[in-house]
Amino acid sequence: MKKLASTLPNMIISLGSITVIAGALLGWMYSVTKEPIALQAQAQQQAAIAEVAPEFNNNPEEDKWETTIDGNTFVVYPAYDNDKLAGAAVKGVSMNGFAGEIVVMCGFEADGTVKDYRVLQQAETPGLGTKMELWFRDPAGARSVIGKNPDKTSFYVSKDAGGEIDGITAATISSRAFLETMRNAFEAYREYEKTQAAKK
Amino acid sequence: MNKLIISLSPHIHAPGSIDRCMWNVVIALVPALAVALWTFGLPALWVTLISVGACLLTEWTITKFMFRRPCTLSNGSALITGILLAFNLPSILPWWMVIIGAIVAIGIGKMSFGGLGCNIWNPALVGRVFLLLSFPAAMTTWPENVDSAFNATTGASSQVDASSGATLLTHLNSGDTSLADYNLLDMMTGHMNGSLGEVGGLAILLGLIYLLVTRTITWHIPVSVIASAAFFSWAFGGNPILDIFAGGLLLGAVFMATDYVTSPMTGKGQLIFGAMIGLITIIIRRYGAYPEGMSFAILLMNSFVPLINRYCRPAIFGAKGRRNQA
Amino acid sequence: MKKYYDILYNGIIPSNPVFVLLLGMCATLGTTSSAHNGMMMGIATAVVLLCSNVVISMVKSLVPDKVRIPAFIVIIASFVTMLQLAVNAWLPSLNASLGIFIPLIVVNCILLGRAEAFASKNGIFESFLDGLGTGIGFTLALILLGGVREILGTGKIFGAEIFPEDYGMLLFVLAPGAFIALGYLIAIVNKIRKTC
Repeated sequence: MKKLASTLPNMIISLGSITVIAGALLGWMYSVTKEPIALQAQAQQQAAIAEVAPEFNNNPEEDKWETTIDGNTFVVYPAYDNDKLAGAAVKGVSMNGFAGEIVVMCGFEADGTVKDYRVLQQAETPGLGTKMELWFRDPAGARSVIGKNPDKTSFYVSKDAGGEIDGITAATISSRAFLETMRNAFEAYREYEKTQAAKK
Repeated sequence: MNKLIISLSPHIHAPGSIDRCMWNVVIALVPALAVALWTFGLPALWVTLISVGACLLTEWTITKFMFRRPCTLSNGSALITGILLAFNLPSILPWWMVIIGAIVAIGIGKMSFGGLGCNIWNPALVGRVFLLLSFPAAMTTWPENVDSAFNATTGASSQVDASSGATLLTHLNSGDTSLADYNLLDMMTGHMNGSLGEVGGLAILLGLIYLLVTRTITWHIPVSVIASAAFFSWAFGGNPILDIFAGGLLLGAVFMATDYVTSPMTGKGQLIFGAMIGLITIIIRRYGAYPEGMSFAILLMNSFVPLINRYCRPAIFGAKGRRNQA
Repeated sequence: MKKYYDILYNGIIPSNPVFVLLLGMCATLGTTSSAHNGMMMGIATAVVLLCSNVVISMVKSLVPDKVRIPAFIVIIASFVTMLQLAVNAWLPSLNASLGIFIPLIVVNCILLGRAEAFASKNGIFESFLDGLGTGIGFTLALILLGGVREILGTGKIFGAEIFPEDYGMLLFVLAPGAFIALGYLIAIVNKIRKTC
């Protein structure tokens, strides 16, 4: 087959039809994948909530409540066990990380004790700041935040005055940002508790 | 026998050979080494010996088995790299990290580019930065109570940060302003914490005087680095004296930035080079994540040396008009 | 048969996209922090390359010369976007580690390079083989680079521990280590190619 000559109509028809076909394919692909992608994102969110929050039988995502602390939005996903507040998962953000924002899903018991946490998003230095997912659940020394209550324990790195949590070695900035998220998440949970108490 | 030799630049300032310049630098390093041994004791000696040994061995292996060239150990440049690398390390660094640093300094920093004279960056600093990025925890862990014994016997004023195991710059970087009680004399004579070579300000200055007297180096780089660091430290609201004497600024200004191979050739170029190092160092110290920025600043400016040389080309003797046309 | 074998082999070693042609460096340096990531990026690129090579070879006589580059880019970009949507929908774990790199396949010079240099001049089957060979070469190179960086940086290979992580040189996981490791690998590969 001979190659089409580069005349204006030829070019317009050729490029036009390629673009139309490509566009149609993409549209089809988008419609096929739209639902799985949305489901995927939701499933991840739900999995994170279920992992960190105490037992619940409500739908935390329906009951979610938002507040703003230090300019960052904190989302409280309350966990109700038979209409009694059992705790909450709080999605917290800090912009003070070493590189980019840190998003943590923090789980609290009813009295504010940290139950568990998941780091959802971070861009810290590999091998240093990225250790935060494991470091702050490590029982060695005063590293772990799990089972501690920010009301009773000072959630600051032990390098800073009054701090009672051991920061990650050589990653103090990441550690501070992580603990800041924890503190603010706790704050958000307390605020939520107050608004609920006021309702009743 | 005063023959007039006309040759292309670079012109070596000192009479004599590469060997002689290098050995002059080694002599100038001795006082600072002595202070390091006095401050940190035996561990400092081990770090220095391991670093020097590994540097020499790496250079020998590469020249012998990969380049198949005559041995270049006797020119002392590998020895200097070894000492300078050790000067940039904490005295309690594990021995195998020192060896990795030495292999990187000579193997990657120098020999990859073709050996002495062909390297773009200062080999010792390549080794140090490699270690700093690879083992950030170990490279910023300083010994505690470095010279408590000395304090006990002489009754000298107690050290600012002896017990915390952190350097003055770490405090500065973390926003700690309670440093009013630092003592200039302590910082000058090795009574502070840090890497091996950066603790003895006075000894480094002694080395500088020796280098200037023997005309191994010219005044341009050390003076411009220190002056620029002092100026920008003041301009950014810092304490110029603290910025100059705490940390590796003096060590870098005298021994690292002045490396022949990786610094500009002309006086004017050297002034620009030094001033930029001072500025970058202060910027990193104030706004960067690392407490110390000297090694990064020198390496960055090393990369600019060809450009600086290009724009600071001296006029051709007798030529008129635009000198860059040459 | 020899001809087909040569086309396939050419992309793997004599004109390996990473070590010999030095194409697609952005993806190469950015994604090879571990052998697994490198392999995934290599496979994703290879899939797109295979599809785009075949399609471009099919439409080559319908595309006038003067608009061939935009036409090729549209084809490549469509495949990349479809791949991205597919990975997003059905392979969430891969999406987490490679998410931002998949769109970069569009600007990977290997794709346009092979389209220009090979697929637009050869038949469909040859183009398929060329895409396969180059894709394999790219994937192997990324696995090699990712493996070296992972071993030196964290003491693991494909996540299996070789020596304790404390002894790993973190630099190799970071960006500068990518450049250093790639430089030495290119030197070694060239040395081997010359002596063979």
